[in-house]
Amino acid sequence: MFNYSFRWNQALQALPQMLEGALVTLQIAILSMAIGIVIAIVLTLFRLSGSKALSALAQTWVEVARNTPALFQIYMAHFGLGAFGIHLSPYASLLLGITFNNAGYLAENFRGALKAIPETQIRAGRSLGMPQLQAFRLIVMPQMLRIAFLPATNQMIWAILMTSLGVTVGMNTDLAGVTQDLNARSFRTFEFFALAAVIYYVIAKVVMLAARGIAWRMFRY
Amino acid sequence: MKTSTLAFTFLAASGLALPAAADALDDIISSGELRCAVVLDFPPMGSRDENNNPIGFDVDYCNDLAAALGVEAEIVETPFPERIPALMSGRVDVGVASTSDTLERAKTVGMSIPYFAFEMAVTARDGSGVTSFDTMKGKTVGATAGTYEAIALQEQVDAWGEGSFRPYQTQADVFLALAQGQIDATVSTSTVAQANVKSGNFEGISVVGMAPFDTDYVSLFAMREEYGLINYLNLFINQQVRTGRYAELYEKWVGGEVPDLTVGSVYR
Repeated sequence: MFNYSFRWNQALQALPQMLEGALVTLQIAILSMAIGIVIAIVLTLFRLSGSKALSALAQTWVEVARNTPALFQIYMAHFGLGAFGIHLSPYASLLLGITFNNAGYLAENFRGALKAIPETQIRAGRSLGMPQLQAFRLIVMPQMLRIAFLPATNQMIWAILMTSLGVTVGMNTDLAGVTQDLNARSFRTFEFFALAAVIYYVIAKVVMLAARGIAWRMFRY
Repeated sequence: MKTSTLAFTFLAASGLALPAAADALDDIISSGELRCAVVLDFPPMGSRDENNNPIGFDVDYCNDLAAALGVEAEIVETPFPERIPALMSGRVDVGVASTSDTLERAKTVGMSIPYFAFEMAVTARDGSGVTSFDTMKGKTVGATAGTYEAIALQEQVDAWGEGSFRPYQTQADVFLALAQGQIDATVSTSTVAQANVKSGNFEGISVVGMAPFDTDYVSLFAMREEYGLINYLNLFINQQVRTGRYAELYEKWVGGEVPDLTVGSVYR
């Protein structure tokens, strides 16, 4: 039995509001990726450092980030830290949760990329007189980032989709939050959610195509 | 007989043989089951007892309705934002979920006459400086996403032009955020506010006054085009009041003076 009459106009009238929300979504995703990449590089270096403590720390981060639901990570950032008197705004909680998740996945990405680079590359650099760190920075890192670039765009798309979990911590300015707000007022659920889904789809698609374009320009031989 | 006459006779006969399409009311009676959407984190209207069984005013109300229809009641736990989607997707027959009868919602679903009325109270965290509704200005406040008071409060925060509003998914999250200090105050129905403050689950919060929002009348709801069912619901609500069952349930779950379900000088 399906007797719902679609009223697309109501949803379309709210499109400008939803697009504003989409900008916030994109902003959070980009920020969380930028910070996530920096943390992931640090975690990767920790693992290579040879120090047991640092390596264990990096490994724990990766394990927790990859093996617990993103929803919990965001919820913990808000209500978990809240229990200890640390109060983050919904925006900050969402950003923290997603960044934590991103850093874990990206660190694994980078580790895989590193493994694909032959050790002889470092040796070649060393034989040219470069110190270890310089050889890593100038020879290994660029290759690593290159190999990890396309897998990282997957993570970017995942980050965009993860922002929708912010509604659980009171986020009401991103696309999911705005959509939920509109839905609560009129309950034109199917229309609003369908429209939001289309916007998410378009953003993800554009990001993917842009990443391919960048990869093509930057990494061709 | 000509072929065309034969065909016509056949068509006419088959048309007559088709049963009239059953409506939702018939469907419920013949299925022997009434599925009600009830919110179960909204005491005293809906919650769970220590054995995890659904209890509360709305639960009893659904049971009464099922008894009137002569069918079994099934309580379908439904969070606030999912009440109307649950109806639309056919998971429930009726919403007995303290649903405010806003005109905006009535564009989507069919609302019965009011079956309960809420007044709105302000609950604040001790030390937040909120001592009344007006002192909420400029503070961080929150409420359960999609509720009548959330919509009214958000509009008020916009009108004040300072402070911020956060919608949470459940009433429990709102009070958790309040007790943790994530928000300074909330507006909820006075029944919920009292129940949460008394529960002892949340420390350092108290009811500091009433919010000047209109009385929140709540309705049962069904599919917009199911006039038969909506008609039945209206009469059922009328009978609940007439027979004293409404007052009885009110005394059992809330206590105090029974709110009036009518507005003066106007029908419905």
